[in-house]
Amino acid sequence: MAGLRGEVSWFCCGNAWGPCGTAGHGACGTCNSGSWQHAWTNTSDACYAITRPDRCGITGVSRRTCGFRHATTNLCNGARVVTTIADCGPQTDLFCGERACCGGTCASNRVIDLTPAAFSAIGSLNAGLIPCNVEAG
Amino acid sequence: MTNTLDRRTLLTSAVLGTTATLVGATAMGSLAPETAFAARSQSPEPGAPDPNFAEGRVTARDGSMILVSGSDGRFHRIRLTGGTSVWKLRPTTLDQVKVGDGLYARGVLMPDGTLAAESIWVNIVNLKVHVTAIGKNVLYLDHSGSRIVGHVVPGTSAAVYNGKPAVSDLSMVKVGKHAQVIGAWRPDTNEIDVATIYAAA
Repeated sequence: MAGLRGEVSWFCCGNAWGPCGTAGHGACGTCNSGSWQHAWTNTSDACYAITRPDRCGITGVSRRTCGFRHATTNLCNGARVVTTIADCGPQTDLFCGERACCGGTCASNRVIDLTPAAFSAIGSLNAGLIPCNVEAG
Repeated sequence: MTNTLDRRTLLTSAVLGTTATLVGATAMGSLAPETAFAARSQSPEPGAPDPNFAEGRVTARDGSMILVSGSDGRFHRIRLTGGTSVWKLRPTTLDQVKVGDGLYARGVLMPDGTLAAESIWVNIVNLKVHVTAIGKNVLYLDHSGSRIVGHVVPGTSAAVYNGKPAVSDLSMVKVGKHAQVIGAWRPDTNEIDVATIYAAA
């Protein structure tokens, strides 16, 4: 898979407080907010039927299964984190065409969600959404 | 890497009381996580728990030390320093961390087992929602089948439409549309205050 440019956000999983309390451990059964993990849009046919990045014009997202490593680079500051697949997501087609920018650097469409531990290693959680590049890690 | 080591030394010194103040930390650059973490080296294995990160509910606070009961059953002792950045709906001060709050914290795990906090995010939530209704200064949201009340806080809440710069005008948020909300959870009511809502215009 060539590098995939898009938006990265974060999601909670595992035991948690507040609205995250019912999140569960994700499609792989291993997801925890405190671990370096991520959600991927193409972990199975059933997953892809939900996320549908192709509806946003993103084709060729490789099928990757639980435990596969991806490296996500924050295009705002160059910080990079390597994580493993622990869930299905994000639901790309709900936000087709959306852009995240910092300075003059922008990227469109959601391609990956990181756990809070992983996202906070490359950016601030309150940023919510940042442009990124994703490649096999 | 040099910057990371410097920050580690700085935090260590601060926690051990050998640094008079962390105000001087800004001489090394911003303490904001966007820049601070850019220089961090990869420490945990992919997929593994991050020892420099903590999550849970605040169970007690004694001055600069807060005790956190992790949702996974672990307990954390988190040390706040003059260089700790705090977010609770907005950037705020250390005294705003209260018993009962939920938090995520990133810092440096010290030899004594405490986490010297670089940044903490108090009650922060990041929700993908469906907007079901809109009232005066309130959004009614559906999050994975659960109804959540989102309060619009004048002067604080902002909207980002299609990646454009944030604006205070939330009038283009529409019922029936999907959105993403960064907000602060209210532990007493289980409602949230909206910090930023990302939506299509």
